[in-house]
Order: sequence, then C-alpha cells, then structure tokens
Amino acid sequence: MVPPSSASASNVEGRRILLVDDDRINLRILAGILKKEGYVAAEANSGERALELYLEFRPHLVLLDVVMAGIDGLETCRRLKRAHGERCAPIIFITAKNDSEDVVEGLAAGGVDYLPKPFQPKEVAARIKTHLQIQLLAAQQLSLVEQLRNANVAKNRFLGMAAHDLRNPLASIRGISEFLLAGAVGPLTPDQLDLVDTIQTTSQGMLQMVNELLDVATIEAGELKLIPQLGSLDELVNKCVTLANMEASKKNTKIALEAGGGRVTLSFDAAKMKQVVDNLLSNSVKFSPPGSIITVLVRRETATPHVSFAVRDQGPGIPHDERDKLFKDFGRLSVQPTGGEKSTGLGLAICRKIVEAHGGTIVAENLPDRGCEFRVTLPSTQ
Amino acid sequence: MKYAGKILLADDEAHIRKYLSLIIRQLGKPTLIEAVNGQDALSVFEREKPKVVLLDVNMPLLGGIETLKRLKAIDPDCIVIMLTSLANRETVEQALENGAAGYIRKDTPKEEIASVLTELIEAALEPRTP
Repeated sequence: MVPPSSASASNVEGRRILLVDDDRINLRILAGILKKEGYVAAEANSGERALELYLEFRPHLVLLDVVMAGIDGLETCRRLKRAHGERCAPIIFITAKNDSEDVVEGLAAGGVDYLPKPFQPKEVAARIKTHLQIQLLAAQQLSLVEQLRNANVAKNRFLGMAAHDLRNPLASIRGISEFLLAGAVGPLTPDQLDLVDTIQTTSQGMLQMVNELLDVATIEAGELKLIPQLGSLDELVNKCVTLANMEASKKNTKIALEAGGGRVTLSFDAAKMKQVVDNLLSNSVKFSPPGSIITVLVRRETATPHVSFAVRDQGPGIPHDERDKLFKDFGRLSVQPTGGEKSTGLGLAICRKIVEAHGGTIVAENLPDRGCEFRVTLPSTQ
Repeated sequence: MKYAGKILLADDEAHIRKYLSLIIRQLGKPTLIEAVNGQDALSVFEREKPKVVLLDVNMPLLGGIETLKRLKAIDPDCIVIMLTSLANRETVEQALENGAAGYIRKDTPKEEIASVLTELIEAALEPRTP
C-alpha cells in the first residue's frame, strides 16, 4: 500500500483557486492576494463561465460572488454540487456586505464559508488556507479509504486462493490416514494407531478451518449466492441431528429433536442452511459438558409469517460482556470447548451472513438456569 | 462395484492419484491406469482404451474440459467423471453439457467419494431401455 503523500496538510502552495465575480476590480484584488500566498488562480466573470472553467481548471477551491448577472452565485453553487457531488471543490461565497441572508442562503446551497466585502487580505488568506487544508485532509482520507478497500479485496482474493489450494492436499492427508487407521494396508501397532489417529484428527480440523476461511473470503467478496428451493426445514434439521448425534455420542451427549412442530416448508438454500444447522449443533456439543442433553426445536411461528429453529445447549452460556463478539469474524469467546475441540471463531459469523442473506435473523440468549439458546428465524411467505 | 475393467485416473497431483486409487481399489477389482495431465490422458486413453475415466478439471498442458471434449470425440460412449475441488457451477454445467457422467468433489469424505463413484459408474453402465 502506498503511504499517504508526504506533503503535509499545511502545504497548500500551488493549489488552484477559481475566482468568480462579475466585478473586475474585485477579481483583481482577490487575484493579487492569492498570488502573494502562492496559489494559482483562474478568473471567471459569470456563473456560466465558472461552470465551463471548473471542468478545465479543476480547482481545489472556488470563491464565488453571490450577486451576479445571469445565473447567480447560489445557482452556480447548486449546479457545481449537482455535477460533481462529493468530489466538488469547497465553495466560499463572496457577499457584498455582511448580509446575513446571503450568508444563510449560501451555506444552504452548499457553500462552506463566506468572505465579506471589502476584503481584508489577511482574513481572506487565513480562511482560504483553512479550507484548503480541510480539503486536502479529506482527499487524503478518501484515497486512504480507497487503498484500504483495494487491500481488503486483495486480502480476500489471497485468502480464497490459499484456502482453495490447501483443501485438496488436506483432504488427501485425511483420507490416506483413514485408510491406515482402517488397516487397509496391514495392521498397525497401538502406538502407530495413536499417531495416525492424531494425523487424521488434525488434518480434519485443518480442513474445516480452511473451509471456513474460504467461506469468509467468498462472503466478503460478495460472492455468497443463494440457490433457494422449496424444501422442508424440519427434514433438513432432522438429518443434521442424526449425523451430529454420532459425533455427540463420543461425549456421551444426546441431541433430541422435539417433536410436534409438524411439516415446515419454505424456500431456502438447503446446502447453506445445512451449514448453519451443522454449525449450531456442533457448537452446542462442543460447549456443553459431556453427558448433556441438547434440545432442538423447529416450528412455524403462529403470530408472524416466520419459521424458526432453536438449539438449546447446557453449556456455560455467553458472558454478558462478550455478546457483541459472538457473531463477528474471529470473535472467539473466553468460553472453552469442554472436550478440547478446536474453534476458528468464524462459524457463527458465517452462520449470521447466511441467515441474513435469507432475510432472517440469528440470536443467542442465555437460558434462566444454565445453557444458551441459539435461534434462527426465517421469513416464510407461506 | 461390479465394474472390473480399466479406469483411467488423470490428475496432476500425485497425492490425489494415490488417495483416489486407494478408494477405487476398495471398490472392487478394476485395473487402474494413471495420467498426469490432459495430454498424457489422451495418449494413455488411445493406447489402453478404458471404459471409465476420472478427469481432473484443472490440469496443466490440457485442461479437463478440453480433454473431456477430445475423449468424447474419440469414444462417445466412454464414461467420464470429472474431479473438482470446488464444485464451481459453471464448470460443472460445462462438463455435463460436454457429456460428463457426473462429478466428484475431491475434498468430500472418502465414503462419499466411493458411493458417488459407484453410483455414477453403475448408472452409466446399465443397459439403456429403449
């Protein structure tokens, strides 16, 4: 990234200033003051001429008389603002006397300041310098924001590429270690099994991490595209619960799907929503003590056209001062998994983005006794 | 898997060839032959005439889609299954339009790779009812 220009904000010499006044004497006086201060000035004797000259001269600042024949200063100001928007140079009005109505109207039309006639050279120089400095700082800030935005895009692209290229080798390591574990190439000793098991678990964890990074890169790059289809949410949750129970049984934990919600049909992206359900389920197992019972509920709201599913765990809940972090990228909490599981701190951030892309919401609330409820609510047109 | 003929496995990454060949060997007794890029795949294909080809999408010298087109030109009946790392929709559609029987994501668990592979090959080998 290029550092901001070394020219400090106080160095405004050589800046271009457009003078607009139908009075030749005023133009001459102002031009004299500006020249002495080291600025480059261009002169226009009408609003119409000022609009033309602005394009050619590209001024950093405009001094604009209010009362002129043809289009007056206020209208000229409005047109400049309309044509150049946020990038329009700051406009200082020249008012005949200290006419407060002119001043108010001028500021309302988009002017930043005013100079009363007759001119006090020192006052003119000081006000111009101040506004040029502000303008310079604003321009530097805009360019910094632009640079940061580009850097962020490059970061996401890099993240995506790196994650993408890491996936296949990791999948191979994981798969090959599974073959070794299964004795596909002959029996292993208990010590060897233990080592290969470590390779398998570690590569599995890395693969998940890499997948999450890839998701974040995709989402941040604005490439999260949903393919919504009419489907049954309760069926999806049911399948996820069955699979998650296999993993949960290792911690002697049970995930129970509460019956009675009935068929819950709506339009959603099944693959993406599965990711959300899987994530909430694996979190609930991860943070509940071994031997817990996790409750899952899918239902159609009666009061509003929404469907929701909730996962209630028996973990320690979310510390009050850490609630803000919960759904943010890398927002890992002080709460630890109870079985030494790993966490990237990206899962819930991804969930939130997927749910929001569906027009839904995800919230977490501590339960009165212990544990926490994560609830996803999705709009349903049915 | 009933199929016991030749399977050509074309992927430029050695670890993928090793990993997939472990999976395929578990499925039955097909004869596995390997190729390391698209051009290599074409020459091995001409020489060995396998019925089934597993073809990586991203390969140097000659990419997967182009290789697929040429394989299909040589033998329209050959069963080609694409190997992808990310199931990019356009690539998948392009592959299917050009006659691929299906695709497999290389980062899915090996059980899934095995079952998808079996399904695809058996479905493609089934005699078509007129």
